[in-house]
Amino acid sequence: MSSTRRHLGAVAAAVMAVSLVAACGSDDEPAADGGSPGGDGGDEQVTISVSNLPPATESATREAFLARVEEFEAANPNITVEPSEYEWDVTTFAAQLAGGTLPTTFEFPFTDGQAMIERGQLVDITAEVQALPYADSFNPSVLEVAQDDSGSIFAVPTTAYGMGLHYNRAMFEQAGLDPDTPPASWAEVREYADAIAEATGQAGFAQMSQNNTGGWILTTLTYALGGRMEDGSGDDVTATLDNDGTKAALELLRQLRWEDDAMGDNFLFDWGTINQAFAAGQVGMYIGGSDVYNSLVTENGIDPDSYGLTVLPLEGGDAGVLGGGTIVGVRPDASEAERDAAVKWIDFFYMSKLTQQDAALADAEALVATDAPLGTPALPIFGAEQLAESDAWVADLVNVPLEQMMPFKESILDQPLVPEPPVRAQDLYAELDAVVQAVLTDENADIEALLETANGNVSSLVEAG
Amino acid sequence: MSATIRWVRGGGLSTLLLLLPLLLVFGYFAWFPIGRAVVMSFQETNLVADPAWVGLDNFRQVLDDPLFWTSVRNTFFFTGLALLFGYPVPLVLAVVMSELRRGKGLYSGLAYLPVVVPPVVAVLLWRFFYDASQTGVFNTIFGWVGLGPFAWIQDASSAMPSLVLQATWANAGATVLIYLAALTAVRGDLYDAAEVDGAGLWRKIGHVTLPQLRGVLLITLILQVIATFQVFTEPYLMTNGGPQNATVTVLLQIYNYAFRFGDYGAATALSVLLALFLAVMSAVYFRLTRSWSTT
Amino acid sequence: MSDTVKDDVRVAAPAPAAPAAETARRPRRRLDGDGERGLLSGYDRGRTGTRWGLRAAQGLVLVLLVVASLGPILWLARASVSTTQDTLRTPMAFWPSGIDWANLSTAWNEAQISHYFANTMWVALGSWFVQLLVATTGGYVLAVLRPRYAPVVTAAVLATLFIPGVVVLVPLFLTVLDLPVVNASLLNTYWAVWLPAGANAFNVLLVKRFMDGLPRDVYEAARMDGAGPLRMLWSVVLPMSRPILGVVSIFAFLNAWKDFLWPQIVLPEPTLQPLSVRLPLIRDTVELDVFLAALLISMALPIVIFLVFQRLFLRGAGLGGAVKG
Repeated sequence: MSSTRRHLGAVAAAVMAVSLVAACGSDDEPAADGGSPGGDGGDEQVTISVSNLPPATESATREAFLARVEEFEAANPNITVEPSEYEWDVTTFAAQLAGGTLPTTFEFPFTDGQAMIERGQLVDITAEVQALPYADSFNPSVLEVAQDDSGSIFAVPTTAYGMGLHYNRAMFEQAGLDPDTPPASWAEVREYADAIAEATGQAGFAQMSQNNTGGWILTTLTYALGGRMEDGSGDDVTATLDNDGTKAALELLRQLRWEDDAMGDNFLFDWGTINQAFAAGQVGMYIGGSDVYNSLVTENGIDPDSYGLTVLPLEGGDAGVLGGGTIVGVRPDASEAERDAAVKWIDFFYMSKLTQQDAALADAEALVATDAPLGTPALPIFGAEQLAESDAWVADLVNVPLEQMMPFKESILDQPLVPEPPVRAQDLYAELDAVVQAVLTDENADIEALLETANGNVSSLVEAG
Repeated sequence: MSATIRWVRGGGLSTLLLLLPLLLVFGYFAWFPIGRAVVMSFQETNLVADPAWVGLDNFRQVLDDPLFWTSVRNTFFFTGLALLFGYPVPLVLAVVMSELRRGKGLYSGLAYLPVVVPPVVAVLLWRFFYDASQTGVFNTIFGWVGLGPFAWIQDASSAMPSLVLQATWANAGATVLIYLAALTAVRGDLYDAAEVDGAGLWRKIGHVTLPQLRGVLLITLILQVIATFQVFTEPYLMTNGGPQNATVTVLLQIYNYAFRFGDYGAATALSVLLALFLAVMSAVYFRLTRSWSTT
Repeated sequence: MSDTVKDDVRVAAPAPAAPAAETARRPRRRLDGDGERGLLSGYDRGRTGTRWGLRAAQGLVLVLLVVASLGPILWLARASVSTTQDTLRTPMAFWPSGIDWANLSTAWNEAQISHYFANTMWVALGSWFVQLLVATTGGYVLAVLRPRYAPVVTAAVLATLFIPGVVVLVPLFLTVLDLPVVNASLLNTYWAVWLPAGANAFNVLLVKRFMDGLPRDVYEAARMDGAGPLRMLWSVVLPMSRPILGVVSIFAFLNAWKDFLWPQIVLPEPTLQPLSVRLPLIRDTVELDVFLAALLISMALPIVIFLVFQRLFLRGAGLGGAVKG
């Protein structure tokens, strides 16, 4: 399975298919799966299903997706692709897997990668990924989310983002604040939130607190204030939920909520509801992934003029920004031929727009043609230079208010990226949800005691492995 | 073998065919899963690999979970509050309504109306009513009389009562109808007799109405306990267990084990524990219906 | 599933009203007079104080019922044709910025409520059919044909009453994922909702007990006429069982319409989901006014059904009593 062939297979999208298939046959090393001589696993007919086909309501993006599928099939005549509207969801994933309705490839967030690898819910695709021409250029800290302890690869990271501070420019102006100079310290965040709450009667600052998002954002805040939720690596991880960063983060929330009364009256937000509230002008500032703008546009119909994005202020010695993103994996019961075809699809559909100008342009044009957002700041999957290069390819097509995101884009690459807690991240987040909710709903919440209890609970989980 | 065949034939083949839908559906979706639940509670499975026997590990894990007692406490709290709200109110309504000469249909129709509203719709609507800001629906109404604003589901101490209030709204109508039916059965001559003894209105209620309803009251009590112990939609959609786990119920805990954390073993173990408790309640209920309906 | 069970409890709840049965069959109008009377005697009603007290209490209850039962529904009806900002800022005002009828059509068309409405309909009709099929054939065999093994089956059905739905939630789910013997997965098919709905012991027992109470000489007569078991079911037993089948039908349909947890688990595919499952999810993606309109549409059909069959619903209590065991 040579890298050349797969790489060419991807290029084929933009060029002619038939000749390529003929051409690459000669380059190939013998196939490991006992396929036809010449290694063209290509002769064996294989069908894979792929996720995230846009629903019929988004007919334009759906057609663009289907067109890509046809291109891919033309370039790989032995592969049949069945697109599915499946979107990864933690609550149904295991069921779909067991019920056999899971597509061969599917996208899921960084956060869940480690748990899925541990549970054996992804197939090892190390060999297939290593064969890709750009296998060595992955940003190691990004690729890590898709690897187990021994370094085997179970999925391919396709997009990455850093956490940022989203703010409503219109509400800034209402409060007499300059939307072009967003807060640069947490003290300023407090000050601004207070001013916004005062002037608008809405929440100056809001924080997610449900469905593990409370813990997720608290972890973000902790990192920004120089703390860590877990210490050590490998088998030697200990939970450190009661670190000074987390205490400072909760103290900050407590002040925002109780001393300044700047967080409004409703606190049970999760990812979907906080986006909704922000787009409806009920929230002045909140912390979320830098890619949230995409969903604010497509799902919540936000007014682009009022949107602003900046980096999180980093304070304290070891402060860093939490990263996240999307990875694409392959179902654990995929046969060798399916794995091979699946990685080809990942390479063609997800990676080529990062690595090749033609594909990037084609993809961008399709997005723009359907008014889908293009140009939301991302973090490099490979390296900063490569990201700058691929950004430049499509710069003319960008249709998001990039100006208003510059405070983020200009500084994010200077911020040290810190991955999520390595062990039992979701359980840790769930445990911290209750802590965040306590601080936001109980004026006399004892932060020290809450963290001590939470740390005890998570410690026993971490020790159990 | 032939004995079995003869035994089956005893009912005739067409009889068996007619019974087939029941046997298949109950076999697949009731009897088999019940047996499997017991087996699964001693196993660990991630739905991918073959299940492994883990003895009592699942039960130990469930009982050691700090949320276990929280959820048990919350569930009891929900049940207690549900009885407090949902028990006397329908009774009073039913007593007043049973004395109606006209318009009983209108009254019972109104009382029953919330019961037909799909729970998801009701919960989502009430979640909006419970908006804790000054301009929330309930807070606006209370504001008219100078009360509030209240935090409703945004505060650990008022979250559960808020949930119960909604659940009572949604279910009280059914209870009213049960009481109404039972009240029509109270024998008139008992009232006559009480009147002959010179009993006033309250004495009649205390000495005739309530004792006559004793059976029904006990049964609705147990039915309510059984139903509220399986409460899920309200905490799941209204607060998702928050704030501060104040509304985590046992069933929410089961759901989270299975469908949030993928731990099917722990989920079934907790289900089995809950089932044991409820089975006792059901047995009591059944005994009562039996003994009571033969009197 | 547990939702189903919870609802079952409600459906079956009328059963304990057994003693009502005897009297309920008599005309109910005669509240006063010869023996059929309530708490208050004719004499009581004649007294001015009691009469006014009663009227006041009844008036109060009426006001309470209108506010509590009708209030939220009327509020929703009003909000679903208001603008988002009106609903957020002045939730109790009447259309300060005019009526916004477009919400309803936006919800129906763009938010695809029509699609999920159809899904719900399909879910409910299928569940209704399976429940009715199982309950009538099962009840018929157990109550009328009474093969030698009938007591065993009855006991086994009865036993499931003692096991709350919760306990089978996960194993039932695994069963649906991989049906034993046939090795098929029902996930993302409506069968996964329909078939388990049929395993409803309350229905079977309700129908069985009703049929138990039918006069047996009718069966003998039919058998004399040479009617087979199927003919007898179709032309003798079913027509006589219409009242109980009506009750079972209406609750089967409505419970399926209301069900949330189970369809959410077995129908992860968004295009198949019924309203109950879909509503919490679309809340995040549509504007508030459209969402409230969607809520209104979702409760409309159950309410209409209730209004049309109100008598059947309310008589359910008496009927439930009539099938005591």
